[in-house]
Amino acid sequence: MEENKSVCPVEFPEALTVAPSPHVRHGENTRGIMLDVIIALMPALIYGIFVFGYRALILTLVSVASCVFFEWGFQRITKRPVTVTDLSAAVTGVLLALNMPSTLPIGLIVVGAFFAIIVVKQIFGGIGKNIVNPALAARVFMFLSWPSEMAGYPALDGVASATPLASLKSGDLSAIDFGDAVRMFLGVEKSGVIGEISVMLLLAGGIYLLVRRVITWHIPVSYLATVAVITLIFPRNGADNFLFMLAELCAGGLVLAAFFMATDYATSPVTKLGRIIFGIICGLVTVFIRYFGAYNEGASFAILIANLLVYYIDKFTRPRVFGAKRKRKEAER
Amino acid sequence: MAATFKGGIHVKEHKNTAHTHITAITPPKTVKIPLSQHIGAPCTPCVKVGERVLRGQKIGDVSSGLGCPVHSSISGTVKEITYHIAPSGARIEDVVIENDFQNELHPSLAPSKRELSSTTADEIIDIVREAGISGMGGATFPTYAKIKSAIGKVDTLIINGAECEPFITANNRLINERPEQVLEGTRILLHVFGLDEALIAIEDNKPHSIQIMTEMSKDEASITVRPVKTKYPQGDERQLIYALTGRQLPTGKLPADVGCVVFNVETVASIYRAFYLGLPLIERIVTVDGDCIKEPKNLLVPIGTSLKALIEECGGLTKTPKYLINGGPMMGHAMWDFENGVTKGTSAILALSEQFTPTYDQPHECIRCGRCVSACPMHLTPNYLAAYARRGLYDTTDELNVRSCVECGACSYMCPAYIPIVQYIRVAKAALNAKGVKR
Repeated sequence: MEENKSVCPVEFPEALTVAPSPHVRHGENTRGIMLDVIIALMPALIYGIFVFGYRALILTLVSVASCVFFEWGFQRITKRPVTVTDLSAAVTGVLLALNMPSTLPIGLIVVGAFFAIIVVKQIFGGIGKNIVNPALAARVFMFLSWPSEMAGYPALDGVASATPLASLKSGDLSAIDFGDAVRMFLGVEKSGVIGEISVMLLLAGGIYLLVRRVITWHIPVSYLATVAVITLIFPRNGADNFLFMLAELCAGGLVLAAFFMATDYATSPVTKLGRIIFGIICGLVTVFIRYFGAYNEGASFAILIANLLVYYIDKFTRPRVFGAKRKRKEAER
Repeated sequence: MAATFKGGIHVKEHKNTAHTHITAITPPKTVKIPLSQHIGAPCTPCVKVGERVLRGQKIGDVSSGLGCPVHSSISGTVKEITYHIAPSGARIEDVVIENDFQNELHPSLAPSKRELSSTTADEIIDIVREAGISGMGGATFPTYAKIKSAIGKVDTLIINGAECEPFITANNRLINERPEQVLEGTRILLHVFGLDEALIAIEDNKPHSIQIMTEMSKDEASITVRPVKTKYPQGDERQLIYALTGRQLPTGKLPADVGCVVFNVETVASIYRAFYLGLPLIERIVTVDGDCIKEPKNLLVPIGTSLKALIEECGGLTKTPKYLINGGPMMGHAMWDFENGVTKGTSAILALSEQFTPTYDQPHECIRCGRCVSACPMHLTPNYLAAYARRGLYDTTDELNVRSCVECGACSYMCPAYIPIVQYIRVAKAALNAKGVKR
């Protein structure tokens, strides 16, 4: 052993750490997940800035800065650990901006950020504790408080036009053709909020999140499938069934909502079955509001309503413990 | 498609020693043999300080109840009878023996004189007990007791060579280098249980082991090699039984209750050595690895050899370790004393540095990502269990079946907030046990 010791490059330490197992980790952390979400939103954001100009960029920067500032300020004042480096506030900032029209007064987005971070997130206990999606709740709050500012969709090509959603709701759709659906998918000749313009780029971001395993397929697929099935069976205003379905899927913020808003961890179920049920509820309420509600878009309200059901969905979809008998059999015994 | 179970995770394998041959360790100067190495009662020493003992001589035994004897792994003189504190917190007596390097085997040790076919199950149970064999996969349940309680109740014999923990390749190397021991041991168990089929489960990240075992057993209708999917915790008894037979073992039940009995491959090889060579369990294969070890190896080690001697045999340390793990990194125990001895359940010794065991600079707040829920092989909701346990709501954790948790660590491993979920669960279980709440 002596000769072995002489070549031993490092001495045996006097103290070792004793900790409970497991002693190794996957290595993924909250910050990395949030960073992935931001990366996934980049194509849609950059395209939004390309379409709507520098104002969209300024709104986004102000939104992110305000969200991070409010989170930092609240945590400092309440003497809690400051968690802004986990990037969750930054994600809220980006999502909030993506849900705003580019014409929104800058001051209002600061109010929106305050509502999202302070009222919806921090008051309820911070990351993971909020019961509704902060960005969506802020959007709806602003929508109800400043309806005209929130509907200031810029005209494209100098021609004032209704958003595709408004057309779907009230227009005559018998002339809708496949080209219209493709244009909506690609995001040309389309107006709306900053982030909802190009379905293709939103899908690209969504697929990135799926590939990176940040989200699972359950919520987006069940959400979009529910909307697709209902709109395929019940087209409105004389449209062709299939084309109407395509138009509904590509219109408004549905894809943005399905991949980025409904999948928010804190406000969606943790079980796979629960996520599918959650997606179906989102889809049903979205279509009902689009069909029968006073508003053109139903996705925001739908997700907020579904958010409130998450605890119960988790509870009723709790998996059966490995080895446990099915309930019915248990009753028979 | 290889058989598997629902849930579980893919862990980074780090099977660095998969191609490292088993080598015998340089005989240690002393061994420190714990008198309690298995589930059950600790042994009472039956040797005195100053007495000369021979290799394979019984040095401690249990007079009644569950437990099995402990033998000297070398020949030499009993220097002292001391104690150490185990990771469980228990005070455990050790017999320290100074090696005389004579390697003299105890004369009473002899192979069974009879053919396997004319040996009764009870006789084999006696041989297994006297050889001090206990489960070598880590849980260390006395093997004779397992056999005894399973006889007549089981229709499926499973030999567990899954080895799903990262780093460990001891079983892998055993199958590759000594497949005949596993095979003969399996035949003994088939004979004991009167069964005509045994399943040898090997994870499909060990194609060479699968090939060797399949080749060896190809003329034997009673032994089938079953590849299982490489997934943690595939080697957990419950998950393995489910993967191979589709039967779900309820919490609190033994495998025999669903007609199965599971043995680790190295345990099976020990049964072979006890029956055909007359050798008690006095040495085992230990994988020595981790990012602080200079030259990771698979060592054949006398029970009681100090962890320090194992690391020195591997060229020593290249970095200062933060953790010294007895077992795998997922379920192994963190040790604090390099002088402690290898036990029958030590499948690996890992020295892991600070860099290898990352921490996270953010507060450990659950973001409800659900990774723990999909990881849980017992289909629990670990995020809720940890949250309720943290707030002391132990009765609620009981309603959520906290006691079904097998503490595999898959949830903690995946958690992006680095919440020590399993530890919260252990706290809840301990609190429930202390309150005496019945299942």
